[in-house]
Amino acid sequence: MSDGHSTDGMDLNALRDGVRTVLSEQASHEKVAAFTNAEGVRDQPLWSQAAELGWLALFADEAHGGLGLGPSELAVIYEELGRAVAPLPVLGTMLVVEALARGGDADQQAAWIPRLAAGELAGAVSMLAPGAPAPTLTLSTGPGSGVVLDGVVENLLDGAAADVLLLLAREGEGLRWVLVEPAVDGVTVEKAATVDRTRHLGVARFERVVLPAGRVLTGDADEIAQALLHHAALALASDARGGANAIFEITLDYLKTREQFGKPIGSFQALKHRCADHKIALVASGVLVAEAVAKAASGDSAAGRYALAAKALASEVYARVAQDAVQLHGGIGYTWEHPCHLYLKRAKLNEQLFGGPAAYLDGVTDLLLAAA
Amino acid sequence: MSVQTATNPSTATRRFDPLARKDDLDAFRAEVRAWLEAVVPADWRARMTGASEADYVAFQRWWFAEMGKVGLATPHWPRDWGGADIGIRHQVIIFEEIARAQAPNPDMFVISLYHLPATLFGNGSKTQRDRYLTGVKERGEVWCQGFSEPGSGSDLASLRTRAERKGDVYVVNGQKVWSSYGAFADYCLLLARTDPTAPKKQAGISYFILNMKAPGVTVRPIRQATGQAEFCEIFLDNVEIPVSDLIGEENAGWAIAQSTLSAERGLIIFELSERMARTLDADLADAKRTDAAWLKDDEARRAFTRAYNDMVALRLMIRALMQEIETDPHMGSTTMPTYIKVHFSELLRRYTEFRLKLGGLSGQLRQPIILGGGHQTGNAMHDFLLSYAWTISGGANEILKTMIAERALGLPR
Repeated sequence: MSDGHSTDGMDLNALRDGVRTVLSEQASHEKVAAFTNAEGVRDQPLWSQAAELGWLALFADEAHGGLGLGPSELAVIYEELGRAVAPLPVLGTMLVVEALARGGDADQQAAWIPRLAAGELAGAVSMLAPGAPAPTLTLSTGPGSGVVLDGVVENLLDGAAADVLLLLAREGEGLRWVLVEPAVDGVTVEKAATVDRTRHLGVARFERVVLPAGRVLTGDADEIAQALLHHAALALASDARGGANAIFEITLDYLKTREQFGKPIGSFQALKHRCADHKIALVASGVLVAEAVAKAASGDSAAGRYALAAKALASEVYARVAQDAVQLHGGIGYTWEHPCHLYLKRAKLNEQLFGGPAAYLDGVTDLLLAAA
Repeated sequence: MSVQTATNPSTATRRFDPLARKDDLDAFRAEVRAWLEAVVPADWRARMTGASEADYVAFQRWWFAEMGKVGLATPHWPRDWGGADIGIRHQVIIFEEIARAQAPNPDMFVISLYHLPATLFGNGSKTQRDRYLTGVKERGEVWCQGFSEPGSGSDLASLRTRAERKGDVYVVNGQKVWSSYGAFADYCLLLARTDPTAPKKQAGISYFILNMKAPGVTVRPIRQATGQAEFCEIFLDNVEIPVSDLIGEENAGWAIAQSTLSAERGLIIFELSERMARTLDADLADAKRTDAAWLKDDEARRAFTRAYNDMVALRLMIRALMQEIETDPHMGSTTMPTYIKVHFSELLRRYTEFRLKLGGLSGQLRQPIILGGGHQTGNAMHDFLLSYAWTISGGANEILKTMIAERALGLPR
């Protein structure tokens, strides 16, 4: 997310401006509030617009209808979605694209990537985390050439909005990634509503669900899992960076205009110092996120550690800033009408998605120790 | 003490010239490393542990002279004043290698190397630059800073030291405090009030070069919480400063003082952050080797990794600042150095306290101090106490936070 151009020459500032302009219209706080109040699972007009503008095609390779761009461009999208607290299942969809690109065979790539890149399909992926235990979902050989899934998969981010699920399953002693198309395969994904209404978790239950063998990714499951975890960490770190900056700006505006005791409350030193602390934390976490994105884009050997560190720091800073934003706004910040709670809830969910703060810190420590 | 003769005998075998290899970064690094390996005495920490003040001063002067011989005392200065005009990539290498070699900190020369040039480049006369920058580079002149006063700390602009013009001199009376290395200084960067009637207190202040050997200057060391006496009080009793030692215009001192202070938040922290990075890596490697108990203590281990991530962010902030300066040397971002200073000092406090906690009761035992060992002496309580130098000096963090809120965030005064 460094300013200027990515290595591919795309003007990131122009991309950012374009995305921000669209979102300020299509995912304004009013529209986001309306979506969340309606308890929807997918904002279809916003999704269609994102597809039309090519945001979902950025990451897919050119042979499959994509633009073949990388982490730098994606990070811009994630950060802007975070700024707008937009209800859009981009992360799950991009994770499926990434998994197919890394571990799918030619037929699988040709069958799925173009439809994901075009926004015909939204995706959701098993909730990974640093150091997470193996999944309970099992994969076994089924009748004929097919495979059979058994078990329950919880915590599918935006799972009920997804047309395709990419699930990690145990196969004997090993692990496999399996594609499931709920509508086709007769699987129902129930929505587990989260307090953050811009997203939700899904639960999928499998009782001897038979799938064609071509749904199993042939690539090394652990390698795919690691790549997806790092991708998710960068995405959430970027979302956190965008959201934290947005709610901080909203809060500063309020402190400059809200008057008590005959002056703007932003003139009080107790509040100034808190804002300065937040600003320094935003700058520090911002440069770390930017470096993590740059390292992912250049394929640096330390990219994984930076991605985990960026998620740990940026999600913590987002939570801290969003929490204090409510307090700094006072009563108005505690109301349903004000956007403060949208950011606070998104920040708290971000902290836990794809592993909590402790898991990320421990993941970083493990990588540091391995290199020490 | 005979430091000079105690160095590695191989120093005599060849002349090192890293700056001649400037165009090839790998060769430059190799030469800096070879020089450090040859010149840094392996036992300098042991020799500076509990050393006398005279030995410490002699060692500092020796180390500064060694750095000067290979052009690495003032490589960041412009070529016109005896520097090498090196850019960020070379500076990174120098600091990384210095940290790697655990070379001594040239503490006594910090004002000479950073604050003085930051002040004179933009505001000094050519005569002043020629005379005083050359004095640092060629004669190892030591400078101190005379800003704070007993009644003017955070409210620096309220300072009362008075300078009155009488013919070709200013006659100065007053008292300065917290002047590091004042006892060894040849010169002092001095702020004094020239116009007590100015409507704004900032508008009546001028900036002078004070010769510490001038009649009427009395220096008294102040013992600090660490037990050392690095700080000094300076008493000024009818001290005469020639008009030619006024920096900039009369009554324009306040703005010039800001460029002095910005030095404190830039390159100096750059070097310290490289040393900090080295320390964290070494601490983790030690813990791995010894299978330290804290690695299995979730709270302690995560506190370490949080500090590590913050250290990585600090280094990235410094690189962003260096790139900013390299792109536009005159722009000189005013906000990034302030973020860096606060972030660094708070991290330093947190990490030195972390090490102190790990030390348990034995960390409380009094140990001799390694003079010039910086913040990584391994003497946990000393390193912790010394971290206050960074949260208080150069503008207390509380003052800087108000500044950030008002100037960077636009919150009303």
